[in-house]
Amino acid sequence: MDVSLKVKAGSGVCVTGENGIGKSTLLRCVSSLQQPDDGEILVFGGTPGATPEFWRAVVTTVEPPTWYPGLTVREHAELVCRAHGQDPDEAGIDEALERFGLAGHGDAIPPSLSSGQKQRLTLAVAMLRPSSLLILDEPEQRLDPDGRAEVAALLAAYVADGGSLLMASHDDTFAEASGAELTTMESLSAVTP
Amino acid sequence: MTAVPLAPVRRWILRRQSAHRERGATAGNIYFTVLFIAIVGGMLHKQLAVVFWPTHPNASSLAAASLTPVLFGLLYLALRRFGPLALSRPAASWLLPAPVSRRRLLLPSLRLTAIVAAIIGALAGTAIVGHAAPRSLDGSAIALLASGAGLAGIALLLVALAAQAGGRWGDRLDAVVSLLLAAGLAGLVTDATTDHPVAAGGWPTAGTLVPLVGAVTLVVGLLFALAVRGLARTPNERILESAKTAGALFDSAFGMEPSFLTDMIERRYWAHRKLRSVRLPARLPILVGQDLLLVARRRRRLLWLALAAALPVLLEDAPHWLIAVAVLIGAMLAASTAGGNVKTDAGNPMLLRLLGLSSRDSVLQRMWVPGVLAAAWSALALGLLSALDELPPGPWWALGLALGPVGAVAAVRRARVGFVRNELLPLDTPMGTVSTGPLVNALIGPDALLLGLPALVNIVQNQELTWLSVLVQAAVGALGARAYLAGTTATDRVELHAQR
Repeated sequence: MDVSLKVKAGSGVCVTGENGIGKSTLLRCVSSLQQPDDGEILVFGGTPGATPEFWRAVVTTVEPPTWYPGLTVREHAELVCRAHGQDPDEAGIDEALERFGLAGHGDAIPPSLSSGQKQRLTLAVAMLRPSSLLILDEPEQRLDPDGRAEVAALLAAYVADGGSLLMASHDDTFAEASGAELTTMESLSAVTP
Repeated sequence: MTAVPLAPVRRWILRRQSAHRERGATAGNIYFTVLFIAIVGGMLHKQLAVVFWPTHPNASSLAAASLTPVLFGLLYLALRRFGPLALSRPAASWLLPAPVSRRRLLLPSLRLTAIVAAIIGALAGTAIVGHAAPRSLDGSAIALLASGAGLAGIALLLVALAAQAGGRWGDRLDAVVSLLLAAGLAGLVTDATTDHPVAAGGWPTAGTLVPLVGAVTLVVGLLFALAVRGLARTPNERILESAKTAGALFDSAFGMEPSFLTDMIERRYWAHRKLRSVRLPARLPILVGQDLLLVARRRRRLLWLALAAALPVLLEDAPHWLIAVAVLIGAMLAASTAGGNVKTDAGNPMLLRLLGLSSRDSVLQRMWVPGVLAAAWSALALGLLSALDELPPGPWWALGLALGPVGAVAAVRRARVGFVRNELLPLDTPMGTVSTGPLVNALIGPDALLLGLPALVNIVQNQELTWLSVLVQAAVGALGARAYLAGTTATDRVELHAQR
């Protein structure tokens, strides 16, 4: 499918559409995790790649997460913050875990969490570290209604602070609450010349 | 609820399964196994004799007394690790929740494990007798001692079985057995470093052994019957856990993919640990701090490593190249204590992307802790060998320290290896077809130990060690580590493997 999409810096776009239409493939291509058959993708004016500079600017959750052995939930969050030069005290790790309903699980190892909690942890870590573009694949999945509202508010704040957001979702209410402009895969392919 | 008879169900399953098999496949398998044992036994009969029945008894009473806890301790710990009671995965999913007699369902597994435990126990007993007993001991006494050892194997199985069903005392007993094993190894090392006379008399005659072995048979038989009666009380979750182990074992064997088993053991280890979050050390590079935390959480393994540094002493009578190889492999194993993090990154670079570090930075940081572990271990091992005068004079501990980078490169290379490549061409040999994938996979990592060649040459030469030799090894190790970093990582790439 030919697709044309532009996400302005400091704005959010949410792609909707039925299963299998290519939302995740689009996100994977933008994240450089998959090569498109044809065409051009530019992220911040350059080709997306495997460089450390790219991954310091971009955070994605389109891949299944993996966890380090023998490292607790809180230590995973601290590790990522420290790798980006953040002070663990000022980064607000405890607040983030609290906000994502993981405050009581700081000492657990991530594989022992439920799938919803793992999803929350991935999002918590993704949003803790500094970034300029968030690429999220159905971030509302496996979250309960309260969790959805919380995450949507955080995403809206991220965009309001100047971050860019590209996500795929099946939940229009969630997408609107997160400050993203809704668009369908069909409309993206329709504008292709 | 009435229990459904199990035998017809099993017969039906067997019939269905055999319908998918070629005719005569089972007979062919048995034929092949017997032939294999006969050929390998024929080829290795001299080596087997050295292990089980040397021409003259050559062990002191200390060595014999130390071998006993080592061999039987290993048997017990292996039984505990694998169950001992396990079901195949299909049986665990379909028959365990079915209304069939639990005892009958588990009995075949118990029977098979008992036979294996008895055979291993008897072999261990024969080996100990063969090394320590005078050749004047008559055949019936030897047979009785071997049967007693076989019974001891079954008794250990029964204890392991009770521990599988029971509570926390099982873990404590494991710790005690580990201690006995360590004490046995310490005894062997002590024996190797001092001159003890070969054990002579004091062996019981057949006359005294008959009532003793008879009584043990009676007791073990009685306990076995009790265990069979109590079989139904084994908790489901324990059987399911063992079924997973058995499944992973078969997957590893048939898929020739040892990582299935090692990964499962690793996952299970951490799942059973209770952790408390700590702050990562602020002064160290971030990944070094993380590796350090991982190692600090494996204190028991560190203790075993420290004890294992004495094991090369056991090779005092072996050719020196074997001691050198043992030290190099030990350095790699010590370094790989911290290998779990690199392995995670090599399997899925998702966390590396989140961290935003270049592969050069991350692998460099990940080599520090393995390097220190390898250096400390080899310094301890070579220092001990030198202190016990097994090596000529010289700063051997320093040569050990110089092996740090070698162990680090080998361990990190091993951790990055990934799955076995089963698509590699098989080799046809006169002994049959050998698949090269697992062979190549097994060599990746240990091949980097070639960087320890200067140390190997020094140990083999058996001459006084000079500081120049230490310097040469240090330089080769450091250059090798640098070349490894330059060749397999990049500053403009996050993933450990270049994208294809």
